[in-house]
Amino acid sequence: MTSYLLRRMGQTLVVLLGVSVIVFALTHLLPGGPARAILGIRATPAAIAAFNHANGYDTPVYLQYFSYLSSLLHGDLGFSYTQNQSVASLLAQDIPKSAYLSLLALVISIVVGLPLGIAQAVRRNRFLDYAVTTGAFLGYSMPVFWLGLLLITWFAVDLSLLPPEAPQTATLAGALADPAAMVLPVAALAIVSIASFSRFMRSAAIENLAQDYIRTARAKGLTERTILARHLLRNALLPIITLIGLSIPALVAGNLVVEQVFNYPGVGLLFFNAALRRDYPVEIALTLLGSALVVVGNLVADLAYGVADPRVRLA
Amino acid sequence: MGELLDIKNLRTDIQQRRSVVHAVDGVSLTLGEGQILGLVGESGSGKTMTGMSIVRLLPPGGHIVGGSITLAGRELTALDDEAMRRVRGNEIGVVFQDPMTSLNPTMTIGNQIAEAVQGNRGAARERAAETLDLVGMPRARERLDNYPHQLSGGMRQRVMIAMALASDPKLLIADEPTTALDATIQEQILDLLESLRARLGMGILLITHDLAVISRYADQVAVMYAGRIVETGPTGPVLRRMRHRYTEALMAAVPRRDQDAGIDLYSIPGLPPDLSDPPAGCRFHPRCLFSQDDCGATDPPLVTVAPGHQHACLHPVTYTAGSTLKLTERASDGRRVIDARAVPLVEVRDLVKEYPVTAGLLQRRVGAVSAVAGVSFTLTPGETFGLVGESGCGKSTLGRALVALEKPTSGSIIFAGHDITAMPAGELRRIRRDLQLMFQDPYASLDPRMRVGAILREPLAIQRIGSRRDQDRRVGELLEEVGLRPSAAQSYPHEFSGGQRQRIGLARALALEPKLVVADEPVSALDVSIQAQILNLMRELRERLGLSYVIISHDLAVVRYMADRIGVMYLGKLVEIGPATDVSDHPAHPYTEALLRAVPDLTSAGRATPATNGASPARPAVRGELPSAINPPSGCRFRTRCPRAQELCAEVEPPLRPFGPHHLAACHFPLRAPLPVEAGLHAPASPGT
Amino acid sequence: MNAPNLDVLASPKGGEVRAEGGLGRAIGRAFTANRLAVLGVGLIVVIVAFCFLGPLLYHTDQVYTNLTAANLPPSAAHPLGTDYLGYDELGRLMAGGQSSIEVGLAAAVMASAIGVAWGALAGYFGGVVDAVMMRIVDIVLSIPGLFILLFVATIIPPTLGTMIAIIALFAWLIPARLVRGEVLSLRSREYVQAVRVMGGRGGRIMLRHLIPNAIGVIVVQATFQVADAILIFAVLSYLGFGLSSPAASWGEMLSSGTPYLYDDYWWLIYPPGVAILLIVLAFNFVGDALRDALDVRLRQT
Repeated sequence: MTSYLLRRMGQTLVVLLGVSVIVFALTHLLPGGPARAILGIRATPAAIAAFNHANGYDTPVYLQYFSYLSSLLHGDLGFSYTQNQSVASLLAQDIPKSAYLSLLALVISIVVGLPLGIAQAVRRNRFLDYAVTTGAFLGYSMPVFWLGLLLITWFAVDLSLLPPEAPQTATLAGALADPAAMVLPVAALAIVSIASFSRFMRSAAIENLAQDYIRTARAKGLTERTILARHLLRNALLPIITLIGLSIPALVAGNLVVEQVFNYPGVGLLFFNAALRRDYPVEIALTLLGSALVVVGNLVADLAYGVADPRVRLA
Repeated sequence: MGELLDIKNLRTDIQQRRSVVHAVDGVSLTLGEGQILGLVGESGSGKTMTGMSIVRLLPPGGHIVGGSITLAGRELTALDDEAMRRVRGNEIGVVFQDPMTSLNPTMTIGNQIAEAVQGNRGAARERAAETLDLVGMPRARERLDNYPHQLSGGMRQRVMIAMALASDPKLLIADEPTTALDATIQEQILDLLESLRARLGMGILLITHDLAVISRYADQVAVMYAGRIVETGPTGPVLRRMRHRYTEALMAAVPRRDQDAGIDLYSIPGLPPDLSDPPAGCRFHPRCLFSQDDCGATDPPLVTVAPGHQHACLHPVTYTAGSTLKLTERASDGRRVIDARAVPLVEVRDLVKEYPVTAGLLQRRVGAVSAVAGVSFTLTPGETFGLVGESGCGKSTLGRALVALEKPTSGSIIFAGHDITAMPAGELRRIRRDLQLMFQDPYASLDPRMRVGAILREPLAIQRIGSRRDQDRRVGELLEEVGLRPSAAQSYPHEFSGGQRQRIGLARALALEPKLVVADEPVSALDVSIQAQILNLMRELRERLGLSYVIISHDLAVVRYMADRIGVMYLGKLVEIGPATDVSDHPAHPYTEALLRAVPDLTSAGRATPATNGASPARPAVRGELPSAINPPSGCRFRTRCPRAQELCAEVEPPLRPFGPHHLAACHFPLRAPLPVEAGLHAPASPGT
Repeated sequence: MNAPNLDVLASPKGGEVRAEGGLGRAIGRAFTANRLAVLGVGLIVVIVAFCFLGPLLYHTDQVYTNLTAANLPPSAAHPLGTDYLGYDELGRLMAGGQSSIEVGLAAAVMASAIGVAWGALAGYFGGVVDAVMMRIVDIVLSIPGLFILLFVATIIPPTLGTMIAIIALFAWLIPARLVRGEVLSLRSREYVQAVRVMGGRGGRIMLRHLIPNAIGVIVVQATFQVADAILIFAVLSYLGFGLSSPAASWGEMLSSGTPYLYDDYWWLIYPPGVAILLIVLAFNFVGDALRDALDVRLRQT
């Protein structure tokens, strides 16, 4: 297990470094380089040279990369010229709000999706199974932004039950204070995840139900309830740990779209606005941050899997 | 005798998408307390479905449609699911075939056994430790917190048995309990089951495909074919003086230890019937040599010929002249006299194959699995060499090295004067046509996307032999050679049965007219009757084409029947090598002897008195299990399990010493005295002599 | 005395072949037995006909705006009304569908081609080559796709071609991983070893054995990729990073309808959304059914 842990951490480090190289390369792919991007199309050559010199862009590329890496490691994520604020401070403001939205949606989709999937597997080819399968197909075939628009039309415009917009607030406390406004964004994000979680759980449970050890449990005279709780659940949930790790990119993407649709001031909206205004430092910092989240999320999922599965833990 | 289990006219159907399979079709059985009833049959005969019907653990779509099952006077078919569940928990224990998949991988074995016991947790855990101890698990109490993957296959099967016994059942159903295990472990497990039934007084229903296992362990036997019992009775009389034509054919299809290699095994023609549409009358009649007009019209009833001995055959074996199965006798037994002066076809010198074991962050090499550890032998042209040993002994690795699929760590393999382990790629590619491999698994060895014609043409295309038309003609010849119609070339592999696919695999190996065919477990995936077909075919082709075979098998009887010489491997070492009959009749190495004794054999079936032919005190069981090949024992690798081991064995590796003409064994304390060195003059080069 | 049964002896020793029909037919049977698959194929046919043949029967102007006829509710002249620039919504739905389907199919084909080549090579060579190639996949895969797509979309001017390229550039990773895993497992199959024993080389093994046996998995994955690519294209267009006007796409139609959410202009919200949902659903149905049909084959062999 220790060796596995070390190797897995080493891999994660390699991937993170690779991501930093790609993101660094992206800044240099920008038309006219970073100076043109920041100073604008009409900047004079002299201004560009001065900017390049001031920011070290006139040194060899590998030196630039190392200084970029070292500033990253010192927590310097760059400066947003359009908002005239350091990227780090923008992030500090918006990350808690996005985390609130995403985690809430994730928890809801796990709590709803997994039992649904298990119920489907146990009552396979019955009404419930068909109904949930239909729902799941619709759920993950539906563009999340359209789902958001429908939710607004139905619950905010037609029924006037809920506010059409997410909480408009600068702080997490503000978002927490207005739970009603969170309902629709969280619902939009969760519905799509529920669809994929229930579908995956269903097939994992069906696969495990066909295993020999379930037959052994039946031969012992255990009740179906005990077999489900003691034998099936643990084995079928194991792959779900990996799935949650793997679903982080989709969650991050969904987050961006939902924040845009409901105008929720989180990192997703921050990125969207930065992309519209070509605010590259923000885009780059967020891309890097999103990648780090994915990489670390996968690492955590793998380690959690290692702890949960005795075959890995005791190997 | 009070009947513990009484099954009357049981019928079980399995509903499939398009058809209904009558898996069990009117089966009647009785099993007394403290008895072992062997239920024997080939795959698809309904033996497992009969067992699973008793505990009502049928696959999806399966249900009992008629008949009765009485356990100790209680009718089981009338019970509701809840009552049936309690019967499973308290009165019947089940042991399944594959201990690898039948245990929950994420639950400790202690908990898995304990949950089969009624009562509070503490008592259940206590009972779990007790039963684990009962089934011979060393240091049982410490093992309770182990997970299944931490145990070997044999130990896992002990856990399965402990689980089945934990609630003190009256009846134990063991469904192929040792099929997934090695011979020496199989012996340990079956001996355990036998001693338990005596100690606990329970009845055991032993379901198996292996007639030899039945002959050693069962008191009563019931032979199943196509969903029906065709013959049943006390083991001795049924196996010695069988009356049903199917039992007769089956017995004649299994190679025995004293099998005369000059007589072909009997191979039952054709395939078992489709049970969704079984033939009318006697179900065996389309494959029976003795069938007459009435066989297809009348459903033969079970008739009693002796107390307890019944059969369902209209034209049974009568033991008068001409009424028994006539087997093809060959002019000679086909065995070659070993000619040490002949130019060897293959010479293996000091072959070593090690696989690195890596660990840590940088995958540093920390050790090596010693798969083959210094093996030397020679093979003369036309000879058949049998390689036996249990799983993990290195026999397959050796076989793969012989066809250059595996690059040895050191040593050389000289084929027709060239060392194939150090040969340029282009030259090796040309020489490959002389060295072919036949695989074990008839399902995995043929590309499912290719028609049979393309599969057989591929070797010719690769070696650029002949024009397209020549190749097509050769495909036709090959198919005919292995007993298939030329039209088979147009079909895909999945349209064939396992035995037919193995024929295609053999045809492919023969396409290039090789000099040597290495056959890795060629029949172990096949049913007994199909096994005989393939073995006979291989013998016939050997004679006709002048082939040499290296036959790799865990089954000594198969190897003895086929081979001129036998090599016995243990943990990477060749421990004994010599003429087939000599090695199997007069082994010198204790491991060879243990292997021979571990495997039940039909030779004694009729002679031993039934019901008491179990664990005889003369049979010294090999202790424990195969040690790890990463750090093999010093000196003699077998010493950790050997009943004759002494201090010397740990210190000095025993050299191969002669025990007869061309017969060598590597043991410090052999079963008989070695010959003086001069007598073994013509022995193949070996490190010790 | 009993006469030996001559019929038994007359038949070939190997027995008869069970007539079952070819492999493709078995897969076909399983596929057509699946009602969702038939529904999926039907939907695809109807939608493609609607988008590509519809404009031949129903002529509308999708280039010049007509602000006097903006935001009209459905009527005889405009069965689905008009949008804020006066484009006929039904005609625009057809035009938007063309770009959505073209981008979806082309991106999926491109991504699958790159992914198959990459994964097959990595899986076939194994060792260091495999480690390096798959680490690259890991790295690119850990960058959230939508972020990098928006980023790249801001740099490269959006055309149909660039949209396809951008989406494919980040969609090949999943098929690459899948094909590598498949090749890795197929490589150790006995029938591949048999080819080695005959003296067959890498190219033959790859082209005649590995790829034909992995093709099922590849086709299933490609089908799902069409669905995914259509969804991603819709998101990009909705967020304003898609094709520029007057080119139409379903995502852009929804985006331009969004400001009128409170005016209850339902004809701007429902038709394009339903269109996306149906086409994506159809490809998911087909992919799912293909996967099940493939399982049938795996069970037989």
